[in-house]
Amino acid sequence: MTSEQSARLEELRREVRDWLRTNLPKGWGTPEYRPPPPYSREQHELGKEWTKKLYEAGYTGFGYPREYGGVERPREEVAVIREELARTGTPGGPLSLGMLVAAPTILAHGEEWQKKRFIPKILSGEEAWCEGFSEPDAGSDLANVQTTGKRDGDEWIINGQKCWTSMWEFADWGLLVVKTEPDAPRHRNLSYFLFSTDTPGFSRRPLRQMSGEAEFGEMFFDDMRIPHKNMMGEQGRGWYIAMTALMAERSGGGGLEGGGTGLAGLGTSDLLGIEGLVDLAKNTRRFGKAAWEDSAFRQRIMQVAIELEAMRWSGARLTAKMSKGQVMGNEASVFKNFQAEMRQRRGDLAMEIIGAYSQLVRGSPRSIDGGEPVYNMLRSRGATIEMGTSEINRNIIAERILGLPRS
Amino acid sequence: MEFSLNEEQEMLKTMARDFLENECPKTFVREMMEDEVGFTRELWKKMAEVGWLGLVFPEEYGGAGMNFRDFSILCEEMGRALLPGPFIPTVLLAGLPILEAGTEEQKQELLPRIASGDIICTLAALEEDGDFWPQAVQVKATERGNDFILDGTKYFVPYAKGVDYILVAARTRRSADPEDGITLFMVDTSEWGIYASPLVTMDQTRKQFDVIFNRVAVPASNIIGEVHRGWPILKQAALKATSALCAEMLGGGEWVLETTVSYAKERIAFGVPIGSFQAIKHKCADMFSGLEYARSLMEWSAEAIKENNRASPRAVSMAKSYCGDVYKYVCGEGIQIHGGIGFTWDHDMHLYFKRSRADDTLFGDANHHRELLASTFD
Repeated sequence: MTSEQSARLEELRREVRDWLRTNLPKGWGTPEYRPPPPYSREQHELGKEWTKKLYEAGYTGFGYPREYGGVERPREEVAVIREELARTGTPGGPLSLGMLVAAPTILAHGEEWQKKRFIPKILSGEEAWCEGFSEPDAGSDLANVQTTGKRDGDEWIINGQKCWTSMWEFADWGLLVVKTEPDAPRHRNLSYFLFSTDTPGFSRRPLRQMSGEAEFGEMFFDDMRIPHKNMMGEQGRGWYIAMTALMAERSGGGGLEGGGTGLAGLGTSDLLGIEGLVDLAKNTRRFGKAAWEDSAFRQRIMQVAIELEAMRWSGARLTAKMSKGQVMGNEASVFKNFQAEMRQRRGDLAMEIIGAYSQLVRGSPRSIDGGEPVYNMLRSRGATIEMGTSEINRNIIAERILGLPRS
Repeated sequence: MEFSLNEEQEMLKTMARDFLENECPKTFVREMMEDEVGFTRELWKKMAEVGWLGLVFPEEYGGAGMNFRDFSILCEEMGRALLPGPFIPTVLLAGLPILEAGTEEQKQELLPRIASGDIICTLAALEEDGDFWPQAVQVKATERGNDFILDGTKYFVPYAKGVDYILVAARTRRSADPEDGITLFMVDTSEWGIYASPLVTMDQTRKQFDVIFNRVAVPASNIIGEVHRGWPILKQAALKATSALCAEMLGGGEWVLETTVSYAKERIAFGVPIGSFQAIKHKCADMFSGLEYARSLMEWSAEAIKENNRASPRAVSMAKSYCGDVYKYVCGEGIQIHGGIGFTWDHDMHLYFKRSRADDTLFGDANHHRELLASTFD
């Protein structure tokens, strides 16, 4: 790099820092700042506003061509911007699967007009997206989608139901997998649509989960009409487009370019968790002594520390491979499983440390940390099921990485 | 930290694999299992000729000046091949102490001869309790003129019969601090008073001996480092040896995984390859995943040592406990997936299984290292 180039980058760095100072929410980084409740409209609106500002400043939207609203900058500039944003932390985007799933999928499979119409408003945060894929009878067996689409002139009439829909509440648009060829064999009978949640015949409601809240929703289609031009890709090829979407979701939104943290990037912030566990054990007295003095707890807590560190370095190795252009789709299954199962072990361990207090949840005056250990444990039971069950992932590892024959 | 291998390292790995496939097939390993010495000077010399013995010694002492990560790549291949012989003891447990704490004279005298394969060494650190800690060192070394007289028994000494020198950790003074008062002696095995009796071990691919030192005279000039100050040197050497051992474990683990997956694809039961059954698939997937994470920790520990990073002890403890558990697990599953044939003496699977248990006990097992980590949070 020339000294001229380094000087330019340093100037950019200063520019970003100044911008952040002016544009981050009031009180950001201090105890005064109170983040909005998770999954609330407040959080969504804050995220929208933030992304809009970031986009207008040219600090997001990387990895997409300019004609679709992308912000094209040299790699080194993107790196500097990302570093500065990571340094202060940022409020996060709207409650939307736009960046993670919709934009990469539309970029890969959309008609020209669809790319021009939808990608810019995803990058700017103006429109939020959800995805309708899973159904009550189509979970691991995603090909078993039963939501139907019947052609009627220039439109398709959609009937059916989707469930476990992330980002369901504030989505303006949705990706939808529909069975349009009832007589065709599995994997050839589906088509992929882009639909507006403003359409008559569409309704949605929360899906309450065992940890108490409703991160996910259900969507219902009652003779809802979608214009034929909103079909993405070829009719009957919906399965393959859905697979792109799935891969995008699991690997973190287009790998390095998309800027997603995905699965490979996780682990660094988790490392802070081990001090929390150690403190919990030191501060909890069980049968007259600190839990931390019990060898059984020490061993298991250290095992968590080791696993966190293993994840961190595995992420580094994966990133090294990805930066060499080695695409790592199936490897994501290895990460996802490990992380999910580790979360469960960690959740169980915290519960065991606190003994009888493991029964008290948020709202109870003597609950530990506002019931957080209990919440984490309950939520972790979903981790081995969502985004590919542990069993399916093991099949993927065995078949696609190790080459074992299909059942 | 560098995780991908550079071109030179890829070449080192490929050449090592080819070399060992030719020179150390399982027939040789089994031959050495029946042999009291347990390795051959002939193969040792060949290893010296391709530069392995002096790999990490500076060029001025006859070495290749390569780094610890390079060394660990070699160790992986050796673990895969179940290479018999005191390679790690010679290079890391004797060679590095000499390099790091020896006098210039000792370095000039000994290192080139180690690099050329001329002298083979091992370490005698353990005593009756079998734990690697300074309290265990009770064998006495008493000053007498220009010599020290060694008296006592060292236990679990690798390859004591086939080596030219044993680096012996002996106690030269009593102290409140058990780490103080331990001295390292390079003992010429041709001296009077040394009796090595072979132990009958589960892992016959690695020979162990109890060695009696019956009033053995060792010149003071054979002391490595300062008198009474030997333990820190040994601790440093053990740190590296532990990481290298993790590399060996990964190499062996990958052999087990590859062999097992191969078998699952070929073995027919109920009319189909057993690898098409989900139970088998899931075991293989878990073996693969375990080795992936073990590898990350092992490579981290090697990189940390190579860079002389402050995190090295932590990295090594994490790697040792995790790799130890994973290697044992993988070997267990390897036998299970092979079914009856995996349980036979003739199949090679039990060689790795036994090696995995032996490796876990060396330099502190998984539990011990977890406890070491916990103590850093105390």
